[in-house]
Amino acid sequence: MQQYILRRSLLNVVVLLLVATMVFLVLRIDPDNVIRNRAQGCQMDTYEECTRVAKQELGLDQPLYEQYVDYMSDIARLDFGKSFYTKESVINQIKDRAGPSIELGLLQIIVALVVALPVGVISAIRQDTWMDYILRFVAIAFLGIPVFIMAVFVILATARFAGGTFLPDWFGPDTVWTDFFDDPVENMRRMTGPAVLGGLGTGAIIMRFLRSQMLEVLRQDYVRTAWSKGLRERVIVMRHALKNALIPVLTVVGLLLGAIVSGNVILETLYNIPGIGFFAVNSIRQGDYPLVQGLVLVVAVSLVFVNLMVDVAYAWLDPRIRYS
Amino acid sequence: MYQEQAQPSLALPEAEAMLPRRPSVLENILRFIRRKPLGAFGMLVVFFLIAMTLGTPKAEFGMPSLPSRPIGFELGEPWMGRYDPDETFQNEATGRTLQYASPSADHWFGTDKSGHDIWSLIVSGARRSLFVGLWALAVATLLGTIIGVVSGYFGGWADTGTQRLMDALQSFPPLITLILIVTINPFTEGPSLTIAAFALGFVGITSVQRIVRGVVLSAREQPYVEAARVLGATNGRIMVYHILPNITAAIIVIFSIGLGSVILAEAALAFIVPEQVPRDPSWGIILSEERAVIVDHPWPGIFSASAIALAVLGFNLAGDALRDVLDPRLRVG
Repeated sequence: MQQYILRRSLLNVVVLLLVATMVFLVLRIDPDNVIRNRAQGCQMDTYEECTRVAKQELGLDQPLYEQYVDYMSDIARLDFGKSFYTKESVINQIKDRAGPSIELGLLQIIVALVVALPVGVISAIRQDTWMDYILRFVAIAFLGIPVFIMAVFVILATARFAGGTFLPDWFGPDTVWTDFFDDPVENMRRMTGPAVLGGLGTGAIIMRFLRSQMLEVLRQDYVRTAWSKGLRERVIVMRHALKNALIPVLTVVGLLLGAIVSGNVILETLYNIPGIGFFAVNSIRQGDYPLVQGLVLVVAVSLVFVNLMVDVAYAWLDPRIRYS
Repeated sequence: MYQEQAQPSLALPEAEAMLPRRPSVLENILRFIRRKPLGAFGMLVVFFLIAMTLGTPKAEFGMPSLPSRPIGFELGEPWMGRYDPDETFQNEATGRTLQYASPSADHWFGTDKSGHDIWSLIVSGARRSLFVGLWALAVATLLGTIIGVVSGYFGGWADTGTQRLMDALQSFPPLITLILIVTINPFTEGPSLTIAAFALGFVGITSVQRIVRGVVLSAREQPYVEAARVLGATNGRIMVYHILPNITAAIIVIFSIGLGSVILAEAALAFIVPEQVPRDPSWGIILSEERAVIVDHPWPGIFSASAIALAVLGFNLAGDALRDVLDPRLRVG
């Protein structure tokens, strides 16, 4: 087990080095654009002077391998440079933005599990009844219809039919952001819409997966033994079947956890939540390259490490899995 | 004489009669509809979408204008569009632009802010969604298959290295990568659909190669591959003639399920950064631009959103059913 974690961690270091190298190369495809963005608002006499200084400050006048060494040593010290526009340190800005993203992601996973677990189990033990058909149809609808389109319709519906009368624009977007620690109620009100929509979207995936797993497990010998022992249905389903069916479902949850920081670009944009995804799109639009570089690296690193943790948790939960 | 008697001339028709008759194509289709009603519905949506893109080819066909638009746009006006999507309509009584008309017999889906007919816009948008999707999948499938087959077939260090590279690619958030590629784009002046299609394909390479590699890993150990090697076939020959046929079913499934997600990604891209994609009629752009006024004028938003949702749903349902029929082992995510 320890050996497995060690080996995976070493492989992850290789992956992270590759990620950093790719970001380095991608942002040097078009250096003129970077220099132009950096030179904006400069007070020198001529434009050439501005771009020359900008190039020097960015280190783009040095040979490529020296740039690479500088870049890597900066990253190792978590120094991602300063934003072109706000002139603030990138890592501090990312720290501020990570909170809302992680909060939204966690809320979505909670909503997904709370909905998907009972629905998946019911749909499996009542297979091919009208209940199963209705639940599966709703799940397919949530799988097929993109979340951002659902969000557009929900915003339309709440504005049309519920605006100001009841559920005071509970699901609608807002322009002012309140942090959870300043005003939890207001913050939750803002989060309800995106958390429920995103949660139902991922819940549909989990539900379908859980249903097929449950159907498989319910046909196994040890479950038949439990039935013939005369155990109650609740005990068989919850204690004997669900436990084994849940393990593969964990993989899916793990994959969703990996996307927690970056998975909500559209919902964050629609609901004006100042998270990582919203921030990334804005900084790409403005051509704020240090920010883009820092954001992509942070997101990639978090994804790689969450995946490692999920793998470890998986091995720990299911004693049959032995990584050799 | 003896030899002639031995001819089993009578036995053959009897044996044939005992075999069940091969079902005709129509019977196969009917059985598919009966067993997979949702899949059949998906197929119907897909065929309708393809019908939307049909049109008379232009008189001067010439070279496809590759730099800004992918192949497929050389087809002329789509037959299903009732008007030119660029035509603006006036209110006949007042003479002013017909803004945000509700659906009527003249304009089935109403009109938008500048008085364009929404049904015609959506029909033109279908072509963009479908052809960008096909191009993206062609890129993803071609590169993903090459990478997956080579990596899976040779194994060892080459495989480990390639897979770590793919892991690194996969840890970039797809939508952000997409926006980054389309925005940086040093290849063309201004936004280009071809670049968008290539970017979409690039993002899809990792998942395609993983599916292909899985199939190759199991096919590699088959006795017929060993037999081919004993007969002296080269690695290239084994890969092309003995391994590749195994992944045909996988490719069909990737295309039908993948088209749904690529259409969605293209619409999402146009929805988030409409300024970075060309201004041809597009479902994503309509939705993005009409979102601000959706409370007062819901029709353009509703119809463009429904078009995206229906197309994605159709391809997903059709792909799911095709996978169950062709190869149930190909369950991914």
